[in-house]
Amino acid sequence: MKNSFFTTSRSRRLGVIAIATTAALALAGCSGGGDADGPTTLKFSYLWSGPEAEVLETIIDDFNDSQDEIVVKGVSSPDQQKQLTSMSSSNGSFDISDNFGENVGSWAAKGVLAPLDEYIESENIDIDDFAPAALEQMTHDGQTYALPIAVHSFQLLYNKTLLDEAGVEPPTTMDELADAVEKLTVTDDSGKISQIGIGDANTTTTLTTLGFAFGGSWSDENGPTPTDAGNIEAVDWWQKNVVDLVGADNLADFKAGEGQYLSAEDSFFSGKAAMIIDGEWRAASASEVAPDLDWGVTSIPAATPELENSTQVTSSTLFIPTNSKHKDEAAQFLAYLLSPEVMEKFSLTLGNLPARTSLLDSDAYGDLPNFEVWGDALTSPNAQSLSSAPYGAEYQTDLGNAFDDVVRGKSNAEKALDYVKSRSKSYTS
Amino acid sequence: MSMLTRRRSEARQTARDLAPKRPRTRRRSFWIGVAFASPFIVGFLGLFAYPILASGYYSFTDFNLFQSPDWVGLDNYEQMANDDVFWKSLANTLVLAVMGVPLTIAIALGGAHLLNTPIKGQPLYRAVIYLPSIIPIVVGGYLWRWLLNTQYGFVNYFLSWFGISGPSWLQEPDWTKPAIVLVVLWTVGGTMIIYLAALKDVPHELYEAASIDGAGPWRRFLNVTWPTVSPVTLFQVIVCLIAYLQIFTEPYVLAQERLNNISSGPDQSMLTYAMYLYQNAFVYLKMGYASAMAWVLFIVTLIVTLVVLASSKRWVHYGSK
Repeated sequence: MKNSFFTTSRSRRLGVIAIATTAALALAGCSGGGDADGPTTLKFSYLWSGPEAEVLETIIDDFNDSQDEIVVKGVSSPDQQKQLTSMSSSNGSFDISDNFGENVGSWAAKGVLAPLDEYIESENIDIDDFAPAALEQMTHDGQTYALPIAVHSFQLLYNKTLLDEAGVEPPTTMDELADAVEKLTVTDDSGKISQIGIGDANTTTTLTTLGFAFGGSWSDENGPTPTDAGNIEAVDWWQKNVVDLVGADNLADFKAGEGQYLSAEDSFFSGKAAMIIDGEWRAASASEVAPDLDWGVTSIPAATPELENSTQVTSSTLFIPTNSKHKDEAAQFLAYLLSPEVMEKFSLTLGNLPARTSLLDSDAYGDLPNFEVWGDALTSPNAQSLSSAPYGAEYQTDLGNAFDDVVRGKSNAEKALDYVKSRSKSYTS
Repeated sequence: MSMLTRRRSEARQTARDLAPKRPRTRRRSFWIGVAFASPFIVGFLGLFAYPILASGYYSFTDFNLFQSPDWVGLDNYEQMANDDVFWKSLANTLVLAVMGVPLTIAIALGGAHLLNTPIKGQPLYRAVIYLPSIIPIVVGGYLWRWLLNTQYGFVNYFLSWFGISGPSWLQEPDWTKPAIVLVVLWTVGGTMIIYLAALKDVPHELYEAASIDGAGPWRRFLNVTWPTVSPVTLFQVIVCLIAYLQIFTEPYVLAQERLNNISSGPDQSMLTYAMYLYQNAFVYLKMGYASAMAWVLFIVTLIVTLVVLASSKRWVHYGSK
C-alpha cells in the first residue's frame, strides 16, 4: 500500500512537472518586467541603425545624466513589421518609437498611437515652430498622434560640369527643364543612352513631387484624388519629356544598368544623370561618396509663377504607443528629443532638415553643402505632403504601379491614374 | 444473451474482482501520458488548430490586427473576385509552377543519374550539389541579385562567353520569372538526393534483364527506371508543386527595393500569391482579406494536389501491384 501510494504520487508529481514545464515554456514570452522602486525605465525602440543609432545613444545618455527619475534604454530595431505587431498586445514592448509621417493616420485610426495633445500642452512643446507641411501628416480626426524630429524636402540637383559643357543654365520653369533634359540626354551610336538628362531616384516620389509642382493634389478630405488635373499634367509631362524622348525600352535598359542608390555607381554621383530630384540627405552622402562631383541644387522648376518653390515634405516622426505603461515619462523624453538643441544635434549628424523652422537659420548647418535650398522650401506655401490617411500604403503601391506602367510605355498618364482611381474604391477607410 | 457473451462478461467481472485498482490506475496513467504529451498537444492546439480556425473566422471579417474584427460576410471573397492584382498574383504563381516543377523534376532526375555513376570523388560531388540547400534562402537570394545584375553579374558575364548578350533579368518583366526559377533551381540538390536514393533502390536484375533483351540506355530508363521511381516522382511533384504555389522568399528578395518599400518587380511580374497575401496582411493590415486569400490558396492547393493524385493512377507504378 505504501509502495503504491509512493509510485502514484511520484507519477503524479512527474505529470505536474510536465504540465508546469509546458505552461512555463508557453508563457515565457508573455512576462513583463515588474517595476522596482526608483527611476522609471523607459524603452525607446528605434528604426535607426549604424552611425545614426550611435548619435541617438549619445543623446539618450545625455538625457539619462540630466535627471534621475527616468532611465531610457535605447534599442535599435530596424524592423517595421515587428514594431507594428509588438504594439498589438496589451503589454507594450516599448514606450516610445519612431516612424514616418505617411503612416500616422493609418496607425492612429487603428488605435495604435496615443494622442499627444495633452502632453504637447503639459510639456510646453511649441507646435507652431514645426514645419507646417509636416504637421499636417501628424493629425488624425483633429488630434495629434506623432511629432516630427526631422523633415525632408525634394529639390532639383544638377551636375554643374555637365550643364556647363552643354551650355545649359539651371532651369527655373518646366519648359526650361524640358529643354535642359533634351540637351543633356546623350545617346551613343547604337542609340543607347550614355547620359540621361534627368534621373529618377524613386519614381513614386519623383512623380508625386512633380504632381505638386504642377499644382496637383493627391488627396482631399474625401480621399484619394489621383486624377486631379495637375497630377495628370505632371505624369504626362514626364512621359513626353523624359520617356518618349529616348523611348521606353531604351529608358528601361538604362535603368536596369544603374548602380545602387547613393553608392559611387549611383547614376547622379557617377555623372550618368545630369539632374535628379531628391532629398537633402543626398547632400550629406555626396560629400562622402562623390567628393569630386561639382553639383548644385535649385528649387523644383515652376509650372506657373504661382507654383514657385513647390516641393514635397516627408518626415521622420516620434510617437508613443497606446500600450505603453509609462506615457507621462515617455512624453517627457519626447519633449527632450524635440527640444531645439537636441533636434539640431540629431538632424545635423544625419544630414536631415530639422523639423523646427526656427533651427533653419542656425549656423550649425552651414557645413552641409547647399543645405539652405532644401531648408528654405519647408516654409514655402507650396510645400505639401502626401496624406497620411489610413489608405496611404495601398494608395502609394497603386500609384507606384501606375507610374511604372507609364515609364514602361504601357499606359499613358490619364489611363494609368484612372486605374488608380478605380482601385481606390476598395481601400481601407 | 448468448452463452459466449455471458461467459465473457463473467470473466470480466472476475478480473475486476481480482484487480479492483486496475481501471483507476489505467485512467491515471492515461492522464500522465497526456501530461507528457502536453508539449505537443498545447503546441498543436495553440500554434496550429487555433490559428487555422481563427483565420477561417477572420476571412469573413474586416480585421486590422489591432481592433476587434467586424463581420462582413462574404465581402472579402467577393472583393477577391474583382481584384485585378489578386488575379495577376495567382497567374504569376501558376506560371512559375508550370515552368518550375517540370524543370525541377527533370534536372533532379538527370542529376541523380550523374551522382549515381561510379566515379572517383562522388561523395564530394553529392555534397557540393546539396550545399546550396543548406544556405538560407534569403542569403542565396541576395547573392543571386548580384549574380543576375545586368552590369556586374556573373550570369551575363558567363553568357557573354558564348556570344550571348544576357537580358536585364530583374528589370524586364519577361525575364523575372525565369530568374526566380533559376534561383529556386539552385537548391535542386534536395530533390536530387531523394531521387538518388530512389535510383539506388531500382533492382539491378531488371537492368540486366532489359540489357539481355537488347534495351539501350534510353529504353532501360523508360521501361525500368522511370516506372520504378514513379512513386518517388509522385511525391516530388506534389511537394514541389506545393512549394511553388506558396513561393515567397525568392521573389520577395529579388524584387526588394530600397528601404524595403513594397515592391513586386517590373510590371508586378514577381508578385506571387504569397507575396500579395503578405502585403495585404502586414503592409495594408487587411487581415480579413489576407485570411480569405489563405483559404482560397488552401483550396487551390488541395484541388491541384487531388488532380495530380488522380492522374497518378495512369503513370505511377507500385512494385507490389
